[in-house]
Amino acid sequence: MFSSIDDVVQQFAGQKYICSRSIATVVYLASKMGKPILVEGPAGVGKTELAKVISRCLDQELIRLQCYEGLDEAKALYEWEYGKQLLYTQILKDKIGEVLAGTGTLREAVDRISAQDGVFFSERFILPRPLLRAITSEKPAVLLVDEIDKSDSEFEAFLLEILSDFQVSVPELGTISAKNIPLVILTSNNSREVSDALKRRCLHLFIDYPSQAHELEIVKLKVPEVADALAADVVSVVQSVRKLDLKKSPSISETLDWARALALLNVESLGEDTVNDTLTTIFKYEGDVRKAQTELRDFMARQKARTRADGQPDPADKDVLH
Amino acid sequence: MEARILEFAALLRKHGMRISPAESLDSLLALQSTGLGTRDTVKEVLRATMVKRSSDLPTFDEVFDLYFSALGEAIRESGEQAAQALGTTLADYQKLLEQLEELLKKRQEQQGGNELSELARALLRHDDGTLQRRMREASESMREGSGQSGKQEGQLGHAIGEQLRLGEIVRELEGLSDELEQLGADAETAAKLRELIKRRLADLADIIKRAARLEAARENPKPKDATGLQSLGEKSFYYLTEDEIRKMKDAVARLAHRLKHVVSIKRQRAKRGAFDLQRTLRHNTQFGGVPFDVQFDRRKKNRPQIVVLCDVSDSVRNVSRFMLQFVYSLQDLYSKVRSFIFVSDMGEVTKLFEDHDINEAIELALRGDVINVFAHSDFGRAFKMFHRDHLASINRRTTVIVLGDARNNYNLPHEWVLRDVQRKAKQVIWLNPENKTTWGFGDSEMDRYMAFCDVVEECRNLNQLYRVVDRLVLS
Repeated sequence: MFSSIDDVVQQFAGQKYICSRSIATVVYLASKMGKPILVEGPAGVGKTELAKVISRCLDQELIRLQCYEGLDEAKALYEWEYGKQLLYTQILKDKIGEVLAGTGTLREAVDRISAQDGVFFSERFILPRPLLRAITSEKPAVLLVDEIDKSDSEFEAFLLEILSDFQVSVPELGTISAKNIPLVILTSNNSREVSDALKRRCLHLFIDYPSQAHELEIVKLKVPEVADALAADVVSVVQSVRKLDLKKSPSISETLDWARALALLNVESLGEDTVNDTLTTIFKYEGDVRKAQTELRDFMARQKARTRADGQPDPADKDVLH
Repeated sequence: MEARILEFAALLRKHGMRISPAESLDSLLALQSTGLGTRDTVKEVLRATMVKRSSDLPTFDEVFDLYFSALGEAIRESGEQAAQALGTTLADYQKLLEQLEELLKKRQEQQGGNELSELARALLRHDDGTLQRRMREASESMREGSGQSGKQEGQLGHAIGEQLRLGEIVRELEGLSDELEQLGADAETAAKLRELIKRRLADLADIIKRAARLEAARENPKPKDATGLQSLGEKSFYYLTEDEIRKMKDAVARLAHRLKHVVSIKRQRAKRGAFDLQRTLRHNTQFGGVPFDVQFDRRKKNRPQIVVLCDVSDSVRNVSRFMLQFVYSLQDLYSKVRSFIFVSDMGEVTKLFEDHDINEAIELALRGDVINVFAHSDFGRAFKMFHRDHLASINRRTTVIVLGDARNNYNLPHEWVLRDVQRKAKQVIWLNPENKTTWGFGDSEMDRYMAFCDVVEECRNLNQLYRVVDRLVLS
């Protein structure tokens, strides 16, 4: 358990996750009040990572449910193991014969079998899916429901029921209530509005792209092999590119990828060629690359002006002199 | 504390945010577990528990700043500035205040009980707490006195001043500054004190102004997007302002998202068919006839094919932009969409829409690269071209959507084309951005074309477009 908001910040930092105070506040409240967190924000700002970090900090198992179109109860909650049930009846044919031995009428036989059917609809034959696992787990767990916006609204309504009561009713078994209430984290990319009812039950957290200083800190922490000056350049390029109207703005994970790629290539400072060669690590669309190139050219020009002002000869100038 | 939070929640509601009692309750519980701490903590706690929509964040920040600090800060600031304005250091200022205190005591002894009013004293002594309390009381009692809604900032300020008995305070303090010498202050101190009093009176006026602004925000919340969008929904495409066009773009984009969502559910429902006995038996003979692997009908996926014909002539210029945006979204959504634009020629833009992103594509389509967009509308000619070149691509699964006003400049309508199309296609839908009452008048050929359409809808504003889309998807 977290003891205070500052404690959250510190423990997260210990797990190499730099978080703003608003994130820490929400996490602290969620753990204190037992409420789910709904995390929204653009892709790649560390929504899923947040859940992982929480589970590591609390030393609890992370149970993940990835949502997608058409996800249903059978995939999310539980399913009867039809094959296994059938297999058992086949193997136990003889035993069933014994049970039925001496029955005179069909009615008697059916009565005897139905007296036994609890065996086949017991927890032995239930296949727990993430939601049931999170509820029935012996130790408290962290449940991550990833990309809730991808699921259908029926599933959302069903999830609502579980999140409010933390109990599940299986018709054949009765109601299973939670042994431990898990800490639930829902993430959404906002591809559709999550229903108000679900929102109302959650603490809302919006994670946006980090500020320049913040992002630089993250890059230095996650990619320590990259030189400080290069890291600063990378971050300021990404920050300026984010202001453009792009189909998919680069997020933190892309910044980190880029920094890692540059570090691997042993690049010491950003030059036009290296940038053009590695641009694909931060842009996922052809159109975006084209748009960004013009912006980057300006950036490079500014960069050059700065080095010249610093009194260091520019390599391009040297070529001219030769 | 509770009262203030609840009042804050009510204020947020007035600004168009939806906050249920459960949420206010949550925020109180949350504050209990974190403690009040700093102002930032409170802000973050409230934000986490009350704001459920990222689009509401700016509103929340604005209202929070207004409600929780505007007054307190104004009062504190004015105190700090007073010292600076008098051109003294803080220590000197403190001394000055002490001298004033002594004078006041002397004055009370001389005149016997004729004390300054509470507010005047608080003002001179920089008693921020009392000031803030009195200001709030004044605002509240003004609010109780009815009929201030709709008042402007200035009127509200006046009303607050009245509640505070500003006139009396001014008289009181002016009286005091006249008496300073009588009370035994030397000339220099008296001059300074006089300036101090003047300054504090100005401060009070300033504080009242700030309070009035807060009050105005409380009473006349700015119309927020949520309500704005509703009226936008009913506004005709023809009469949109620049700003509304931008908002409309968002709305249409959201419409597309919604469409996608509905479609995905429909597909999902259709995924699994009924139990297939024959195939189950056949498949499970390998298990000795024990039905381990149950087989279901695979339902045939009904992939709609859509052909969109979009009028981009001058008469529907404003509308065609949204229509094209809508068409673009359609094409993104369904795998088999062919998009055409026409004025007097018919041109296909399917490829264009595939290759470019939305704004660029629309720009290119409207610029006249594909067809001459500056010609006079000729539906008949365009339809004939479509008949010649593309009729073969229409089959029983095709839905043909025509977006246009059917204003044909008295050219030949050639409605037989539509008849042929209707015969071959699953359905023909015509969306007309003109008011229904004007159809068929002047050069409108809507009456003729209507006969060969399965669905004809007026589509003048966003809400109508929503309804059409609903029908399209659910049919």
